[in-house]
Amino acid sequence: MFFYTGCILAILGSIATVVGPGVKDPIVRTFNTEVAAIGLSLIFLVYNHTLALMTFIAATAVTTLILLRVITRLEEIGADA
Amino acid sequence: MVLIPEVVPTITASLYLPAVYLAMIVGFLGLTGIAIQKKDIHILILTDLVGLAMLIMVAAVGTDLAEALVLPGLVVELAEIMAISEILISREMRKIENAEPIDRVIARKHSVFPFPLKLDMEIMTTAPNFIALVMILYGAFLTGFTGGAVAGGGILFYIFSRKARGLPVIVIDGIGAISGFSWCLWIIGFVLFFIAPQYWLLLLFMAACGLFLKVASKLGLIGAMMREEYKKE
Repeated sequence: MFFYTGCILAILGSIATVVGPGVKDPIVRTFNTEVAAIGLSLIFLVYNHTLALMTFIAATAVTTLILLRVITRLEEIGADA
Repeated sequence: MVLIPEVVPTITASLYLPAVYLAMIVGFLGLTGIAIQKKDIHILILTDLVGLAMLIMVAAVGTDLAEALVLPGLVVELAEIMAISEILISREMRKIENAEPIDRVIARKHSVFPFPLKLDMEIMTTAPNFIALVMILYGAFLTGFTGGAVAGGGILFYIFSRKARGLPVIVIDGIGAISGFSWCLWIIGFVLFFIAPQYWLLLLFMAACGLFLKVASKLGLIGAMMREEYKKE
């Protein structure tokens, strides 16, 4: 049950990340990635990968921080990247 | 015909094919997005998505083997995103410096240094002590890479939200030195594990604590870096 919920979330999240509404804005795109990440967390939960799940959550938080830093930085220097 | 060892539970074996197909679908969507996109920052975010597909593929193996493979995958992804983001920023800065003089006037109005940003959130004044303490204690209990990541998250949050700015250079150098020494501890523990297997418990703890210190101190440095950027006043 969790497994298929995770599958649906992962697929929906990745579709939303690629073509979803408002993905012209990099911040919206980053948050859409989180949906797919929740799906992956559910799949880890089904497989009983406790350590992997915990590390994944911590690493996702740090990745989001790094991505947000790049986005704000690039907007401040007015780059068209 | 697929050969399945007896230690693999039947449920893991039955979920293997759906998980692999799922990983392929997600990976295909991510790669299509990368092929369509022109802007670098969007490509960086979509790379994250392809990384998720990779993790699903590894997780489908099930058992402890998958867990042992997921951790290095996460480390590599984190390091890759950090490195590429730094390259992106420095490249854009150089582009602006080399731009035409007319553009340069506009560029100077947006200074290359980030402008002060007031981050005034309740959680950043009341919670840091408690959250950092709990996360560091739990991380020390876990040890290894997972413990390092959990404790590092706590340290990152604490350093990011405290008021005092500007770590002295000696402290930053010191954190780097701790990180280097603990890396050596990990390598020595790992090598001796094969040379003198009778001391396996001691060596296991050497390696686990080395990795814990290494990851935690690195994440602490990221916290210091973020605060330098956002807490300028």
